Amino acid sequence: MSSGLNIFVLVKQVPDQGSKAGINPDGTIDRAKAKRMLNPFDRFALQAALHAKKNYGGKVSAISMGPPPAVEILLECLEHGVDDAYLLSDRRLAASDTLATAFALFKTVAHVGKPDLVFCGLQTTDGDTAQVGPQLAERMGLPQITYCEDFSIEGNKVHGRRIIEGGYQKVVSEMPLLITVANSYHPLEYKSFRGAWRVQRLARNEEELKKYIHTVDLDLVGADPERTGLKGSPTIVAATEKVGEIGGNCRMHEGQSIDHLVKDVVKETNLAQFMTV
Amino acid sequence: MTDNQETQPDVSQFCPKGDVLVIGEQILGDLQPVTLELLGAGRILADKMGQPLKCLIMGHNLGDIPQRLIEYGADEVFVADSPELHVYRTLPYRRVVCDFLDSLSAPPHTCLLGSTTTGRDLAPRIAAHFETGLTADCTELDIGPYEHKSKVDPTKIGLYPNCLYAIRPSFGESLKARILGPWKNPQMATTRPGVMVPNKQDPNRQGKITPIPVNLKQEDFRLIVADTVREISKGVKLTEADVIVAGGFGLGGPEGFDLLRELAAQFENSAVAASRKVVDLGWIPYQHQVGQTGKTVRPKLYIAAGISGAIQHRVGMSKSGIIIAINKDPDSPIFKFAHHGIVGDCNQVISEMIKQLKAVKSGKGVEAVVGSH
Ligand SMILES: Cc1cc2nc3c(=O)[nH]c(=O)nc-3n(C[C@H](O)[C@H](O)[C@H](O)COP(=O)(O)OP(=O)(O)OC[C@H]3O[C@@H](n4cnc5c(N)ncnc54)[C@H](O)[C@@H]3O)c2cc1C
Ligand SMILES: Cc1cc2nc3c(=O)[nH]c(=O)nc-3n(C[C@H](O)[C@H](O)[C@H](O)COP(=O)(O)OP(=O)(O)OC[C@H]3O[C@@H](n4cnc5c(N)ncnc54)[C@H](O)[C@@H]3O)c2cc1C
Repeated sequence: MSSGLNIFVLVKQVPDQGSKAGINPDGTIDRAKAKRMLNPFDRFALQAALHAKKNYGGKVSAISMGPPPAVEILLECLEHGVDDAYLLSDRRLAASDTLATAFALFKTVAHVGKPDLVFCGLQTTDGDTAQVGPQLAERMGLPQITYCEDFSIEGNKVHGRRIIEGGYQKVVSEMPLLITVANSYHPLEYKSFRGAWRVQRLARNEEELKKYIHTVDLDLVGADPERTGLKGSPTIVAATEKVGEIGGNCRMHEGQSIDHLVKDVVKETNLAQFMTV
Repeated sequence: MTDNQETQPDVSQFCPKGDVLVIGEQILGDLQPVTLELLGAGRILADKMGQPLKCLIMGHNLGDIPQRLIEYGADEVFVADSPELHVYRTLPYRRVVCDFLDSLSAPPHTCLLGSTTTGRDLAPRIAAHFETGLTADCTELDIGPYEHKSKVDPTKIGLYPNCLYAIRPSFGESLKARILGPWKNPQMATTRPGVMVPNKQDPNRQGKITPIPVNLKQEDFRLIVADTVREISKGVKLTEADVIVAGGFGLGGPEGFDLLRELAAQFENSAVAASRKVVDLGWIPYQHQVGQTGKTVRPKLYIAAGISGAIQHRVGMSKSGIIIAINKDPDSPIFKFAHHGIVGDCNQVISEMIKQLKAVKSGKGVEAVVGSH
């Protein structure tokens, strides 16, 4: 592979649940009002993709499916050093479940090119299913390493370590390969000053920006609209019910000197009952 | 509902009643608890429909595992045995499940897996292959009717009498969503480990054990497993402890555990535990890990020092009697489910706690140490 690896990283924009903006009283999210951010789990995938490029050479393309504002997270990816980005945006994609999402992403990936490595986040903070990665791998007919905590590449082989119950597995896979990156992978490094500066300048020039961020729709990537969106989704959310904050009645001890805080807790929980005699 | 037959066509053919299939899970011959939980939940669904509960298990030299699956509720167990299935790998397991489902005259009504690192790796591939719905990480399952009114696709309007209700917490556990996939069988779901209740083992329960063929292809071997390391079951009696003192990344370093050990020593029948993050950092061995990929514990008292309370940690300890969390960040997620929260530096708080408990023991009482307000 003289030209280096062709690396794709898949990123999703999610509502920022840390900010209270746009969170409806019933617990659902008003996407128009909510603050948006790059899915925190995708930061690890982005770092893994950048590592692969840095250590083994090649090119990184970021791919996202979402409404037009999702361009924000692609700009962020460019600032961190990806080479180009693709946004699949199409009204017909509304209400896609994971199967429909994976299908649309599969078509987009095929439109962009032939990857050696596809990195996904472990899961998202909104849908939180962890299903899109493996479903995309199935569509692409690729092997996968999910819950991957670390990896290295030798020739055409990827050596990876994945989390399992009570331990871990060491696996070796051929490329092309899809990897979902665990949040125990290295955290995303700060963007370089130069990278951020370059992208800020780009963002001001729409023509120039189009060379780096390509917006595509279902027709362009050749995806049958019947297989995406509401129609292409086998699952439906039939009902939601607010359960409130789980627990939600933690008695907080703060603001006093530590000895008093501890004293209160020792008393209120009667810690002495658990002590050795 | 019966007044207008035209808008109420019978659509029951889309998801007719049928078998409930559990895809079992073992790691190196160790049957995973989530499989027994799935058999418990699956039994209820199957009985509700008056249908059999079946279980597919893959591995090599599985010994008495198939029999145990029957004793825990399965009517029939399908066994795929091959040296190539000894450890879990996506593609060979995927092949066996897909071939098996293809060989049936009718697909199962429901197909269940655990939301484990294995189930979440395998289930989406099966669902994508059969283009069927999959609900992730459920905490409740049921069977019930669903009336579809949306006109997006008029052929789908009607009453679906037997749907899998897959219920999952969402948006940081503040909502419960009921998700259905009534258009076609199998309706698939994964369930969160530690939630469903297994049946009591019944050694007299009868059932059928049926071997199934394993026909792997060259392309299924693109990934090999070089090593599977499991360390969780050795030593450290975490599950029997009455008091657990657990530490996380907020301890600042492995030395932090010295303090935790000293605190634990103040309590009867106590043990020291940890988050996965610090286990991975090598601050303390694997055997101490609590959570989804560690141990599930239920002590009378759980003290969490410098642990953020990630969902994967929480599932392993949330059923503890009293949870005391110490964290310097008042917005830390752990304060959402702890009973008492102390905001402060954990090392200082733990030292103070040790001091006060020692004072109590020596008869001085806490008042003497702290003084009155
Ligand atoms: C409360 C709620 C519950 C839901 N439950 C289910 C369910 O049980 N089953 C189901 O099929 N659908 C479900 N959905 C729908 C699902 O969230 C959407 O299909 C969504 O488009 C993708 O799923 P996810 O967010 O769970 O992604 P995950 O599968 O958790 O994402 C894993 C990774 O895939 C990649 N990825 C995911 N989406 C995109 C994207 N749009 N663009 C680029 N990369 C992406 C990212 O790398 C991401 O880190 C649910 C939605 C909500 C709001
Ligand atoms: C598939 C999978 C399985 C997993 N299984 C498990 C599992 O079994 N068990 C598990 O625990 N995790 C598991 N994890 C990891 C989990 O997601 C979290 O990353 C992990 O629990 C975080 O550990 P932590 O709380 O120690 O660290 P962090 O999340 O970094 O939290 C540290 C906390 O310490 C606080 N803090 C910092 N300094 C101080 C101070 N001086 N005094 C007081 N507080 C301080 C911070 O405010 C923060 O809340 C798993 C993850 C995956 C993807």
